[in-house]
Amino acid sequence: MMETNMKTDTNIKLPISFILYGLAAFVVSQLILFLNSSDLIEGQFRIPDIWMAVHFLMLGFAVMTAMGAMYQLVPVAFLTPIWNQTFGFIQFFITAVGMTLFAILLGFHTNIAIYGGILAIIGILMFLFQMIKTISVQKEKTTMTYFILVALVSFLLTITAGFILAWNLAFGDSGYHENILYSHITLGIAGWFTLLIFGMSYKLVPMFSLSHGFTMKWAKPALYTYIGGLVVTIISYWVHMSTVQSIGFFLLFAGFGLFSLDMKEILSKRIKKKLDQPFQFSLFAIFNGLIIHFLALLIVLLDFTTENVWPWLIYLYIVTWIVFSILGYLYKIVPFLWWTHKYSEKVGKEKVPTLKEMMNEKLSGILYSLFIVSVLGIIISIGLKNGISLYGFTGLMTATSCIYAISIIKVLLK
Amino acid sequence: MIGVRFNMIDKKQIEEALKDVIDPELGVNIIDLGLVYGIDIDDNNNIRIKMTLTTPGCPMHDSISYGVQNRLHLIDGIGNIEVQLVWKPQWDPSRMSDRAKELLWGI
Repeated sequence: MMETNMKTDTNIKLPISFILYGLAAFVVSQLILFLNSSDLIEGQFRIPDIWMAVHFLMLGFAVMTAMGAMYQLVPVAFLTPIWNQTFGFIQFFITAVGMTLFAILLGFHTNIAIYGGILAIIGILMFLFQMIKTISVQKEKTTMTYFILVALVSFLLTITAGFILAWNLAFGDSGYHENILYSHITLGIAGWFTLLIFGMSYKLVPMFSLSHGFTMKWAKPALYTYIGGLVVTIISYWVHMSTVQSIGFFLLFAGFGLFSLDMKEILSKRIKKKLDQPFQFSLFAIFNGLIIHFLALLIVLLDFTTENVWPWLIYLYIVTWIVFSILGYLYKIVPFLWWTHKYSEKVGKEKVPTLKEMMNEKLSGILYSLFIVSVLGIIISIGLKNGISLYGFTGLMTATSCIYAISIIKVLLK
Repeated sequence: MIGVRFNMIDKKQIEEALKDVIDPELGVNIIDLGLVYGIDIDDNNNIRIKMTLTTPGCPMHDSISYGVQNRLHLIDGIGNIEVQLVWKPQWDPSRMSDRAKELLWGI
């Protein structure tokens, strides 16, 4: 028998710090979007307030939460402890200050945002260093490891491109601003987040559905195809050839499709019949991601260039794939973190709650429904150019985000 | 030295005690889940539990190990307790009791 003697615990304060910051940034980002609804209806995206909201959402919420989740999940998934937890706390502090400064400066003093950006980049580089050191000691590298490593490399390239963009805003355009911007967005949302969620899903989906006997036969093809898609799509921004762009978007869609096939097989071989609502929400996000990849491919193939189609497709990709995935998984991760901290050593001595009892699943179902209604409402309002209804739905999204954040924090009081 | 040991602990007693250790994610005890591969008891009531978890690298590994030790320590006359967590052979759903299968398909 193969015996294990692992001790991979992470100090709970480390992931929780990232997650709490992320929740606050999530609410702030939605509030800013709500206050700027009138700009959104006019198709004004590239303005300081929207940059601020997007960076609070993507850096403050999505990146910080992903970092917190990785501090918790990487040791579990790769059976290797975090390289240096004190370094992790310093990294949290620098990144949190850097990202807050960067997002606020983008909104109010765009020309000096680069100084906040530098601090945020230092924090991100520290995180990348921490993860590389942690993962490098893993004995047997799996396909999941490579998903995470490619995601981390994409993250590094994303912030490099982002730094050049901030430099351009501060000191003048290098002449390639648009090319770099599109590369930055693609590397960030598809390279970093999508590959990270792919990698983590290969661990979390079987675990939460108690699935056994699945093959993961599409994992490697999905990884290679998606990487190919990223490379070709980014090249297309520089060579301006529609055929290259079509191939790139096809490969991205195909890679996502192969990943989805594996998820489908894992779920078909599950032992747990009724899945938790938060987990179902994360699975719903996979479906959204696949559909949006397909729509993106169609738009490129049909050369469908209606005004603002891309910003709204990117919005849908970010919210209904990336943000929904995170919102689903957070409702699983936080109760687990707190349960481990509070009840782990009491098991067997006294009656302890199950993880299901740590959260209000009924409320989570209502919140997830409200998130879906809000996003649909926002898109329909934009389509109809109805400003009042847009205010209503961005307001609903903000209120739902606020209640969601409170409901997660309430887990920590149990 | 020849002595008579009273209160010899048997396997059945250990199994019953371990039914109080619940997997917090699934809400089913570790015996019904079929996570316990072996229970060894020596003449001095020292116990060695060989067990696994449903997923390699399950984040609950420490909690469940603590749970096993904590629960067994409540048994009168118990000696040392060793929990040996193994990943191979990998856990298989066929190891679950009918009750566990019913619970997981029913909940």
